[in-house]
Amino acid sequence: MSRGKLAIIGVGEVPTGRYSDRTRWDIIYDVCTQAVRDAGIDKKDVEGVITVAPQAQPRLTSEISFGKIPEELGLSGCKDVCICNAGGASTTNCLRLAEQWIESGLAKIVLIPHVTVHSTIPLQDVISFFATAGIDTQWEYPFGATFNGMLAMVAQRYMHETGTTAEEMASTVVALRKWAALDPNSMFYKKPVTLEDVLSSKMVSTPLRSRECNVLADGGGAMLVTSAERARDITDTPVYKLGHGGRYTGACNILRKDYFMREGWRDAARDALNEAGLEKEDMDVFEFYVAYPFNQLVALEAVGITEPGESGKFVMEGHTSPGGTCPCSTIGDACGRGHTGSGVSMANYIECARQLTGKAGERQVPDCRHILATAAGGSGMNTLMTVWGREIP
Amino acid sequence: MSEYKKPLPEMQPWSRAFWEGAKRHKLLIQVCTDCDARIFYPRKICPECWSRNLSWTEASGRGKIYSYSVTLAGVEEKFADDLPFVLALVDLEEGVRMMTNIVDCPHDEVSIGMDVEVFFEDVTGDVSLPKWRPAKS
Repeated sequence: MSRGKLAIIGVGEVPTGRYSDRTRWDIIYDVCTQAVRDAGIDKKDVEGVITVAPQAQPRLTSEISFGKIPEELGLSGCKDVCICNAGGASTTNCLRLAEQWIESGLAKIVLIPHVTVHSTIPLQDVISFFATAGIDTQWEYPFGATFNGMLAMVAQRYMHETGTTAEEMASTVVALRKWAALDPNSMFYKKPVTLEDVLSSKMVSTPLRSRECNVLADGGGAMLVTSAERARDITDTPVYKLGHGGRYTGACNILRKDYFMREGWRDAARDALNEAGLEKEDMDVFEFYVAYPFNQLVALEAVGITEPGESGKFVMEGHTSPGGTCPCSTIGDACGRGHTGSGVSMANYIECARQLTGKAGERQVPDCRHILATAAGGSGMNTLMTVWGREIP
Repeated sequence: MSEYKKPLPEMQPWSRAFWEGAKRHKLLIQVCTDCDARIFYPRKICPECWSRNLSWTEASGRGKIYSYSVTLAGVEEKFADDLPFVLALVDLEEGVRMMTNIVDCPHDEVSIGMDVEVFFEDVTGDVSLPKWRPAKS
């Protein structure tokens, strides 16, 4: 699909947090009805439902895989349904699949929901799930690899090669939590942290401290998408997908030649910007979903905002924070939003829509016209980049 | 010997020779006899040229730490007794990289680039895991 064929016309979202008293289906009802009402369409006009696969929730995954959402919601015009699993990159692929359904004529409007409730899964089960999701059961798991451990090794090597300091690494958390503190849909709304808070938090896997790792959260969101032409008939504020780029970086850490994924991010960004016909200088916001805070530094270098090794200073100086010269990750990435499994990318795209329609509240970047957004899955299996805009250039 | 509760490697038919070697305390690397690729982890076919003519060569057992992390928390219960432990990536002289643990070394002395040598931990009667410690010479 060439640039500007797909558009977001409605979004729905519940705040991240702990909803142990709320069922997953309760959240699905809320985010889907919100998205349909936000677009102002009739529910019978939703002709396809492509759901982001929830992680670590096998029964819910089965229920959704086998078609329950359109039936629960009474989407009488629905022609087909499926679920898409690429871990943290699922939402990006739901969008791409929706493009195909729309362009082929299968569906005019597609609903893309996500829900995750971590808080009712026993802690050891959550740890066990993430111990083998994106971690090889033969060559990594027997040695006690964890997500934190794997990313901590990347961080260790990054510090070694670039000379980035612990303070600079920790400043990424401060920046992300500043954004989260302005986000009513974040579990960390009005809860910023200081550099001292981060540096004094418990060491989990050297060099990463607990505040430099993710907090698991419950949450849900939904987007409604359609073709650019139809979007203009439905809403005055469509949000166009202008470009896409992607690289596969590999499943196993031991085989990843591009260990920081810098080249993958760089190449994917170049493809996405080329398709959009835009330059990085045209971007008003960078919505980096790179999961671990320190990876914000790699993303800044990959996109060419700073030279390798200089991004830590850049973040510490406040350039990526609210009011800064280069606003990055305006919901605070997984660190600021709470990690909702495969849902952080959903939250990221919803934020793109909010920023581009002027609905981002206290986080609103003035006159936001273009955004470069990232996504990745597993322990870093791919680097996906999308460009979004409120007009087609 | 108390029962080993931690996960054992989930072997494939084509990786069995690696683990048989480990049991005999030999570190084996798969080699493609057609394109001479050194292959790790082991595959059913050569990932470079898709040849099925694969054999094994014994590694020198020497390498350098590419990166590491001292794990202090956040592990499954079955690993809890090991805390703190060192997770590491080791680059072998043969040009392949393995994930492992660094042992027999004070944690604050582990460093990137450190010379290490392999040894084998017999975790059950059938399975030995290759682990690494500071090189003696």
